Amino acid sequence: MTGALLPPFLPASIGGAIEFIFEPQSSNVTGGKKVGGFETVIELTLNQLEVTLFALALATAIALPIGLYLGHRGIGEVFAVGLGNVGRAVPELALIALMAAVVGVGLLNLTIALTILGIPPILTNAFVGIRQVDRAPVDAAQGMGMTEAEILLKVEMPLAVPTLMAGIRSAAIAIVATATIGPIAGVLTLGDFIINNNVYGANGLLAGGILVALLALSLEAALAGIQRLLTSRGLQLSAT
Amino acid sequence: MPSLGALALPLAKVGEVSEGFFHERNSETLPCQASSSHLFCFGWAKENIDSFATPTVQQLELVLFSVLAGFVVAIALALLAHRRRWLQAPLLAITGVIYTVPSIAFFFLLLPVTGLGRDTVIVALSAYTLQIIYRNAIAGLANVPAATRDAARGMGLTERQILWRVELPLATPEIVAGLRVAAVSTVALATFAVFVNGGGLGSKIYSQSNLTFPTSIIIAGGIAMLMALAFHLALVGIERYTTPWRRVAAG
Amino acid sequence: MPAAEATDQGSSAVASSVRYENATKRYGESAEAAVEGLNLEVPAGEVCVLVGPSGCGKTTAMRLVNRTVELSEGDVLIGGESVRKRDPARLRREIGYVIQEVGLFPHRTIAENIGTVPQLLGWKKERIAARTRELIELIGLDPELGERYPAQLSGGQQQRVGVARALAADPPVMLMDEPFGAIDPINRERLQNEFLRLQAEIRKTILFVTHDIDEAIKMGDRIAIMRRGGRLAQFATPAELLMAPADEFVEDFVGADRALKRLALMRVADIDLWEAPLAHVGQATAEVRAKLAGAEVPYPLLVDSERRPLGWLSERDLAGETVPARPDSPLGPLLDRDDVMRDALADLLQGEAQYAAVTDRQGRIDGVLSVEIISEFLASPKAKVEENSAVERPRG
Repeated sequence: MTGALLPPFLPASIGGAIEFIFEPQSSNVTGGKKVGGFETVIELTLNQLEVTLFALALATAIALPIGLYLGHRGIGEVFAVGLGNVGRAVPELALIALMAAVVGVGLLNLTIALTILGIPPILTNAFVGIRQVDRAPVDAAQGMGMTEAEILLKVEMPLAVPTLMAGIRSAAIAIVATATIGPIAGVLTLGDFIINNNVYGANGLLAGGILVALLALSLEAALAGIQRLLTSRGLQLSAT
Repeated sequence: MPSLGALALPLAKVGEVSEGFFHERNSETLPCQASSSHLFCFGWAKENIDSFATPTVQQLELVLFSVLAGFVVAIALALLAHRRRWLQAPLLAITGVIYTVPSIAFFFLLLPVTGLGRDTVIVALSAYTLQIIYRNAIAGLANVPAATRDAARGMGLTERQILWRVELPLATPEIVAGLRVAAVSTVALATFAVFVNGGGLGSKIYSQSNLTFPTSIIIAGGIAMLMALAFHLALVGIERYTTPWRRVAAG
Repeated sequence: MPAAEATDQGSSAVASSVRYENATKRYGESAEAAVEGLNLEVPAGEVCVLVGPSGCGKTTAMRLVNRTVELSEGDVLIGGESVRKRDPARLRREIGYVIQEVGLFPHRTIAENIGTVPQLLGWKKERIAARTRELIELIGLDPELGERYPAQLSGGQQQRVGVARALAADPPVMLMDEPFGAIDPINRERLQNEFLRLQAEIRKTILFVTHDIDEAIKMGDRIAIMRRGGRLAQFATPAELLMAPADEFVEDFVGADRALKRLALMRVADIDLWEAPLAHVGQATAEVRAKLAGAEVPYPLLVDSERRPLGWLSERDLAGETVPARPDSPLGPLLDRDDVMRDALADLLQGEAQYAAVTDRQGRIDGVLSVEIISEFLASPKAKVEENSAVERPRG
């Protein structure tokens, strides 16, 4: 082991962690300084959420149109599917670390790195989603006189919503998870409790884990809700 | 706007991090790495490549154990839930939660239980691979055409025979695809092991509360990606091997 | 809106003629064309069936009309105007299009599906709503189904919606590619009959593709039998086709049972049906017996107050004082006067009944049919006349 990363492990309890979340604590680890507490938690959570949502929005804005276009035209399959595979193989830690070390730290840089992380799943799913749409309604739409753009927007996209949203949700999870190590890139997110535990102590560590988990679950639930809103009732019925 | 405030704090922290980057070096310090304009120092790489051997092996071990453990449990659960429908909804919910909770958070949630070290990493990553493979296995089994199942029953195969001779073989492509995705993702995630003293290539990227330097990061990241690629190719090969009927169909 | 043709093409206000002029479609470098130099004219308001073996190019030929397949050489003219001159998307909005899988949009309601082309054409909302209501009624569906989704409808209902959707903008030409192919035989028959009734009212120019020669004979005013490469083997009315096939290929395709197929050209309504003595529930059996003597059909038919048949009465039924509510024998096959003779005969034979009640559209008794009656009719000179008259589909 390259030297203990963490101080000698002090038992952390869930109770201790919960206290940490709400009230600034002091312990011998922190040298008597009060750390943690609700305000800090809120601030870090908001940071993480902010950078996550920015990156997700940006990734969607870039990847979705490209994926939809390629899928509609039926070209670039190797690229679209390959990108998904490659994206999955990129070690997020290395990506963030490299960016921080070479390009520099800061909100903007982190956002860009996270955006890059989020593009592959969205693009791949957009491509696959459009391609897997039932051909009959598309054929009918073309025969009835819809333009290519109309077919994509009015028929293919609504029918591909489940797959499209799955890609966006996948990207969201990857982004929020990676945003946790934001402190490496100079952005204070919940990961600060985890990485700089010499400051926050064992309770902070556990609290960090709990909070990140809750944030991720909330984000997922929100996106699931959005998906349900976007899915036409007719589509839900035909799925059963 | 909260973001301005958010910008201010990181800027304060930035000073600390970059100072460490430039100044807190151990004996491995050489001029090349100290300068941020040098992206990759071949000299350092050649000399220190051996130091990557152990972390690579550690990473491989983490991945193999996790994927194997996850695979075994996932298949067991899938077979169970395939027969007992009522299990499917709760299992789907549980695996959904596991999928959502970031591995890094999972590491720390496990700390009180498994402590620092490899075990935490393996448990957390196994859970991650488990949910991927489980969902693919369930989907694969469900996608077996009802007509095929019906014909098998009509020919006199028992439920168990149908499972092993018909359903599982037909579900294999999806299961192997799940294995592939799980393995490739796990390689990337295993780098986070460094945060719980789990070893692995992460230690070459981030150590002692500091980033290492670009060359090391690139090498470590590169090895990880090559490992992921190797898993990908190996599993694509296995997929082709286990589905000869598909090969014929594709012509 | 579709061009109202007042030219020498002889088209009516909402139907245009379709003419293929040396139309050719070649894919890639292959020497053999999918459709080779097709010359065909479909007069306005007629149903032209394109029929032939698999791969003969009939679907390709149909798709040349709305340019879902592009011409390699030659031209297709609708109402005298070349399709090449139009923007494809705009052209298609003026042509009704029905495909075998129907292709309803699962994510839209039935009403929204039907209103698709009018919406593309920019109709006002009220007009679309009115037209949708009209069409749902026309295809025989409950108006409240308009708010449902395709997944909630049966296959037959979906097929009807597909037809309604194609009719929505009142196009002068309709293309139908095996529209009833995916339906079970019973419902297919029903849909075919209803479609013919519809066509009798709206009189559109229809290009109908099928591989089923029986369907072609039943549905077509004119039939184009094609061989590989879209080559026309014969283009004629069903009667001509059956009585004077152009060559061996056509003969084989039409089938050895040509004589029997002629039955598809006639309707039950063409025959003078026999009368069965009618009985009502609670009527004195003596009265019924009196009617029996000298009746054409030796069995009384129980009907309700609306003259709708309920069942056949047996000797046992008439043993009592009054006619019982429940007859001994079931009703057996129930025929429609609009049925084609071939289907009626099939139903009779299948039901193993000697006599079958024939009803009108409201379900009221019209007469009785039997195999005997049919064979008598076929032998009569009247049948020959019916056959030889040019394509006159009975109106209503």
